Formats: sequence, structure tokens, C-alpha cells
Amino acid sequence: MSDIRRYDELTNEPVLDHEYDGIEELDNPLPGWWLATFYLCVIFAGGYFLWFQILHDGNNIRHTYNQEWQAMEAKAMEAEAAAAASMSDELFAKQVNDPAVITAGKAVYESKCSSCHAPDGGGLIGPNLTDNHWLNGDGTPMAVFKVIKDGVMAKGMPAWGPVLSKEELSQVSAFVVSLKGTKPAAPKEAQGNAY
Amino acid sequence: MSAVANPTHVGEPDTPVEYFEYDDQVVRWFTLATLGWGLISFLVGLFIALQLSSWRLNFDLPWLTFGRMRPLHTNAAIFAFAGNAIFAGIYYSTQRLLKARMFSDALSRIHFWGWQLIIVAAAITLPLGYTMSKEYAELEWPIDIAITVIWVVFAVNFFGTLIRRRERHIYVAIWFYIATIITVALLHVVNSISLPVSFLKSYPVYAGVQDALIQWWYGHNAVAFFLTTPFLGLMYYFVPKAVDRPVYSYKLSIIHFWALIFIYIWAGPHHLLYTALPEWAQTLGMIFSVMLWAPSWGGMINGMLTLRGAWDRLRTDPILKMFVAALTFYGMATFEGPLLSIKAVNSLSHYTDWTIGHVHGGTLGWNGLLTFAMIYYLVPRLWNTKLYSIKLVTAHFWFGITGTGVYMISLWVAGITQGLMWRGITAEGKLMYPDFIETVTRIVPLYAVRALGGSLFIIGFLLMLYNIWMTIRGAQIAAPEKHRAHRLAKFTHIDAAVLGNKPHRILEGMPMVFSVLAVIAVVVGSVIEIIPALMVQEFNPGSKAVRPYTPLELAGRDIYVREGCYTCHSQMIRPMVAETLRYGKPTTLEETQYDRPFQWGSKRTGPDLARVGGRYPDSWHYRHMLNPRDIVPQSIMPNYPWLIKDKTDTASLQQKLKVMKTLGVPYSDDDIRFAEANAQKQAEEITARLKKDGISQASADKEIIAMIAYLQRLGHMQPTEVAAK
Repeated sequence: MSDIRRYDELTNEPVLDHEYDGIEELDNPLPGWWLATFYLCVIFAGGYFLWFQILHDGNNIRHTYNQEWQAMEAKAMEAEAAAAASMSDELFAKQVNDPAVITAGKAVYESKCSSCHAPDGGGLIGPNLTDNHWLNGDGTPMAVFKVIKDGVMAKGMPAWGPVLSKEELSQVSAFVVSLKGTKPAAPKEAQGNAY
Repeated sequence: MSAVANPTHVGEPDTPVEYFEYDDQVVRWFTLATLGWGLISFLVGLFIALQLSSWRLNFDLPWLTFGRMRPLHTNAAIFAFAGNAIFAGIYYSTQRLLKARMFSDALSRIHFWGWQLIIVAAAITLPLGYTMSKEYAELEWPIDIAITVIWVVFAVNFFGTLIRRRERHIYVAIWFYIATIITVALLHVVNSISLPVSFLKSYPVYAGVQDALIQWWYGHNAVAFFLTTPFLGLMYYFVPKAVDRPVYSYKLSIIHFWALIFIYIWAGPHHLLYTALPEWAQTLGMIFSVMLWAPSWGGMINGMLTLRGAWDRLRTDPILKMFVAALTFYGMATFEGPLLSIKAVNSLSHYTDWTIGHVHGGTLGWNGLLTFAMIYYLVPRLWNTKLYSIKLVTAHFWFGITGTGVYMISLWVAGITQGLMWRGITAEGKLMYPDFIETVTRIVPLYAVRALGGSLFIIGFLLMLYNIWMTIRGAQIAAPEKHRAHRLAKFTHIDAAVLGNKPHRILEGMPMVFSVLAVIAVVVGSVIEIIPALMVQEFNPGSKAVRPYTPLELAGRDIYVREGCYTCHSQMIRPMVAETLRYGKPTTLEETQYDRPFQWGSKRTGPDLARVGGRYPDSWHYRHMLNPRDIVPQSIMPNYPWLIKDKTDTASLQQKLKVMKTLGVPYSDDDIRFAEANAQKQAEEITARLKKDGISQASADKEIIAMIAYLQRLGHMQPTEVAAK
């Protein structure tokens, strides 16, 4: 019995000797490029597993992460040191009163701080920043800078050091210091000690 | 090709001729159900797309929020639209390919009505917040049991027909139907096993990483065995019928069928790349996805090349055009899938809208267009009439492919943009976009474009509804045609004269042996991936260092699950520098070992929450849940005002802890006995803290308090940490 019933009238290819509800099938071979693709993928897959999971210890994601984390920290420390070198208390004290710095700080404040301290500094979840009472530190520019940078986790104040650049930290500190004595719309009652 | 008048195959013994009719009534029902549920699932899809571009559309109503609507959309699209389409096509083609009426008309009708009832049950329970939160397997246990029963009805009906067939060998479409029926049953049962707490609430027997692995073994193979293999089967019947040309290559059918079902089942872990899943399992998921590329394309090639010699008809026949477009989208999606499974690509694409775009290339382009083409082919035959308008089909074609294209492209751009923004790090080692909201605001316009793409797709579908309505209105269904064929001689031994002499040809003559081999093909990968997760120490840290959830936290967690928070928030920090800077150190296996169900998530429309606990004060969460825009002005998250009004269900806590204990969570008898009292105590502590922060209206018995307890717990798993808090 032959497998081939006839030859297709359009392509002249052999038609197999079976049909289902009128559907016939050609006896064409697997396309070469398709088969090659399949083989290549299988070889790649086998090689990949062999290389990473068997010849190496199989914890590649973890190792890569550790390496990249260390590289990033080293770079960050370098940048930090460079920033610290160009920064001094006197310079900072001068910056605090620089209107350009304060304006730049206002933008940072609006995106990061206003949700908890209110846009005008009157306080919401966080304390009022316009009065002379302070929960942490004494309200001097350096103290404000430190609270913003390191946060006070116990009170819910996040540390912004990992998020903001040194420059942004100085700017927003300057803005917060400038709020003192302003009249917010709905001031929260004073918290902490007066300075 | 002339219809061959049922010849007895060479070598078949002479057997009596039998007369029979096909049951097309059930096909008509399934066809109409496909169209009806299609409209609903598409409209819900458009609605949730619009919710992402405009948060007000959540309407502050619990049952209309995104988190509850999204599961409704996915379940309706997959199981109601695609499901009914599959059944219509399978019932139509199986009878003709096997030359036999369906095994039992009663089972066909039970199947139809049972399935529609399940869909109605889903459409009611999902908006009400009854959910297991496992994607595309959200339905609660009573509905899961109903699905199992109806699926068994379908299987008995199908295999019964197979036994009574009058065609010795089974055609490739039937192979795909066999693989579908067997594998879907396996996936559904294994993934849905859970222990009930009450009539509509249960906890899965798997926890944490096991739950994640089994869920994505299921989830990926829902794509494989619900949206791919049955549709390939339909393609193998309807494309050669519509084009009236022989299938390109029988050999290719064989190779790509077995390769596809064997390889597909392994690919699930590519949904868990860079998670806490042990790396070897991730690697298996990736490499099998890469190997899946060619077998998937085998189906596309075989379909496309079947059109050789008839390409000119594409100009005049929009139904053929739709079939070809469907195959093209299938080819694109099955190339993109392996690409997204490569770890380096996935590290960018995962949790972004790129995945959503990819999925819709497959669902709108492949499943949608193939279904539409099939229905355009079927309706004139089922209703014994002609299509009302070919021009409208052409218009539908253009709306369909344009809509799908706009949808895919907008989400490619959105996904890649957001993925790149998430990972941007400055020279100082800080995030370039530290505010998550910046990365959201940037892509919200693209959400609107995506909704436009979806709208175009729906406009095309509305044209179809009108066209079909005009076609069948007043049509006279013809009396069923009589068919004749020889009865098959009883199978006694492998007789080359009857079965042929090639091994696979022989196998096609023995469908039960064929089915057993198909079972083996899908079980191998399943066992190798799942059994270790249940047995091996690597997956079961059993660390005593992790404290189980307190009763109030558990109550809060159930609310988190109910609201579908997982549809927008992950709880899985990947080991990547940018993720650690943004969210904290990578999530470990231990941390989720009591999570039933796991909440690792698959999409970050909002930020990851794995370590959100302790980041903000309780009052922050209180205000944020009430109106996120009070805290983050550009937020697109819905408001949850009912959490402040509704009371926490603490009465069920004892039972919940008891079930958890049965499942292996180390609660003591006292923990269970005093569950309510402990919840009350913790709620009062939180309320006191809220009052101190000026939220005096907070009341300890409300759901918001339980939710805060749960959110504050996230990332704080150690007993020592809790003591220090």
C-alpha cells in the first residue's frame, strides 16, 4: 500500500493517502531553517544549563547582585567624599540664606515633604515646621540637615540620604529653615521643645 | 477538493454502514455564548484600562475597583470568551473529524449550561471580593469543584465520541484537543487544592514559594493549554477547510505537536525569574521557554503554508485574511514570549506593562481574530444562510488588527520606559527616579492610548455582532444532514493493513494509547519541577525565625487579598541594585513561608510592598487608603473609603487560625483560643497611635485597622524585630 494518494495540482507535492472531513495533508519534509532553529535553541538551552547551573555553583543571580552592589557602594562613597570635600559648615551656613538655594529647595520639598508636613509647612502627619518647637535637634540648619538625611525611623520620618543628593539635601534644609516664622493656613499644634 | 464519500480505508474489514447526524445545536449555543461573553469581557477590559488612565472611574465603589474588576476581565476573556469559542469549535470539528455524533446529547447540554453557570458565578463572586488571588484561578473552592465536574463531563463526552468514532485514525486537531482536555484537568485540580475556612473562603495547601511555583506552572500552562493548544487544534481544522487546500506538512504536525506539549509544561518558572525561587528552577523555566520558540512556530508555519497556491484569495476573502492575521500574531507572540523569558530581558520587562502588551498580542491577535474568523466561517453553515455583509468583515479585520497593534505598541513603550526609569542609578549611587509616582505619571498617557487600541478592537467586534445578528435573523436552520460511514471493526491487534506501518500512523489509530503518551509528555516536566518544591529542603526553610501572622494581621491580609491589591503591587524585591535602593534588601524564601496564598504579584502599577512595614506611620496609611491623593497628589490608586466604615470580620479568626494550623503554621492552642481577643488588643494599640497623630475618628473594629496591621508587618518577619518595634 502506498502512502501517497496523488500529487497536488498546484504545487505538485505528494498528498498523503488519508483525509478527514475533506482535509488532506501533504508529505512535505520539515523546513530546514525551522529544524535548524529548533536544534540551535536546544543546544543553547543545554549549554546554558550546563554552564551556569552545573559548571558554576548555580547562584549566579546572587553573585552578580553582590558584585554590582559593592561596585555601586564604592562609587557612591567616592562621590560622597568628593561632595564632602567641596562642602564646609561655613559654606553651608552661607547657602542657607541664598534665595536661589531656597527656591531650589522648595521644589524638593514639594515633591518629597509636603505630603506629610503640608505644602506650607503647617504639619499634617509630620510636625509643624514653621513654629520654634523641634522634636529632633534644635532647629539649626545643621540639625535640620541631619534629621532630613538620616531620618528618625521611630517617629516615622524617613531617611532621605539614600534618595536625595547632597545638593538637594542642602537645598531642602535651607527651605525648611526659611519656613520658620511663616504663617501656615492650618498650623498643627506645637510639638517638642522650644528653641 | 471533492468530499470523499466515506470510503472504507484500505485494509479495513467490511463492516455495516451506519447513518448518523451531527449535533449542531450545541455548537450554535456555544457560538452565541462566545459572542455574548466576548462583549462583556472586552467591555470590562476597556473599563479597567480607563481606570488606569483616570482613577476616578473606580467610583469609590468596592465592586467596581480595579483590583476586583481585573480578575473579572481575565477570567471572562479566558474562560467565558475563549472557553466558549473552544467548545463551539471542538464540538463542531470533532464530530466531523471522527464521523460520529457527540457521545451524549445530555452531556453536551450539561456541559453548556454548567459552563455558563460557572461564568455567572464568577461574575458575581469576583466583584464581591471572593477570590483566591491566584491569577486566572481566582475562583473560590465551590466554583473550582463545579469547574472540575463540568470539565469531567466534557472529557467523558469527548472521549466517548472518540471511542465511537467511525474514522480509524485521528487527525492532528484531535491530538491537540486530547492534550488540552487532559492537561487543563491536571493543572486546575493541582493548583486549586485548598482547605475551606467557610463557604466562600479557603487557604491553599501550598504556601509561599510552593504556591508561587505551582500557580505559575498553572498560569503559564493556562496560556499553553487553554489559549494555545485548543486554538491550534481549531486552526488545523478551520484553516484548511476555509482555504480548501491540503495541510502543508504532516511530518511537521507530528514533530511540533509533541515538542510543544512536552516543552510547554516546563516554562512556568519564567514568571518567577529573579524571585526567591531557587535559581535552577528559574533557569529551567528560561531554557524551556527558549526551546519553545521553534515548536510554536511549527504551528504557524503549517497554518501559513497551507495557504500556498491560494494567497490571491486573501485579497477577496476577509475571513482568510483574519486567519492569516491570527497566525501572524501567534508567531509574533510566540517569538516575544521566549525573548521575555531570557533573564536579562526579563529583568527589564518583568512587573511592567510590556508583559500586558505581550499577552494581548496573543489574546486579541491570536485567540480573538482566530475566534472571529472561525465564527464567520461557522455561522452561515450553522444557520444555513449567507453572511449578511462581507464588507463589514473586512472592516472588522482592519479595526481588529489596528486596535491590537495600537494596544501592543503603546504598552511596549510604556513597559520599556518604566522599566528603564526604575533601574536608573546616578553616579552618586542614588535612584534617578526615587519617587515611584514619577515613573507612573510618565506612562499614564500611554494608558489612554492603550484604551484607544482596545476601543478600536471593540468597535470591530460590535460590527461583527451587528453582522452576525443580521445574518441569523430570520434564518431557517436546516434539518440535520444525514451522513453515512462504515462502522469501525473491533480493534483486536495492531494490524498493519488497517493501521498503517509507520509508528506514528499506528499511534493515531489508537487514541487511548495516544492519550496516555500525551499524559506522560506533560507529567514529566510537571513532576521534575513541582516535586522538589514540595519535598526538598531548599524550598522549605521551615525557619522558626519567622513569626506567623497575628490574628489581626491575618484579617488584614485577607482584606488585601479580597481587594486584589496583588493586581498592582508585588511583594517580591528582586536581587538588583536599583530594587534594593528603592525597596530594601531582596526578599527571601523564609519571609513568605506562611503566605497562603502567596502575594508575590506579577505587576507593579504601584510600588513593591514587601518591606513597606514601618516605612510610614500608621496615620500615613490611614489617610493614604482613604484617599491616596492626599499623600501623593498624582497617585492613580483607587480610594478605599469602605475600609473605614466596614467592620473587620473577627468572628472567623479562630476558624482561620485553626485551618492555618492544620496546614502547618505553628499556632499554639492558645493562639487559636484567644485569636479574637488578641486581634482586639492589637487593633486598640493601632487606634491609640492613630489618635495620637490626630486621627480621632479611628475605631478599632474597622477593616482599615486590620489593613494597617498587615501593611506594617510586611518586611518585619522576625520575632526580635517585633519585640523592638
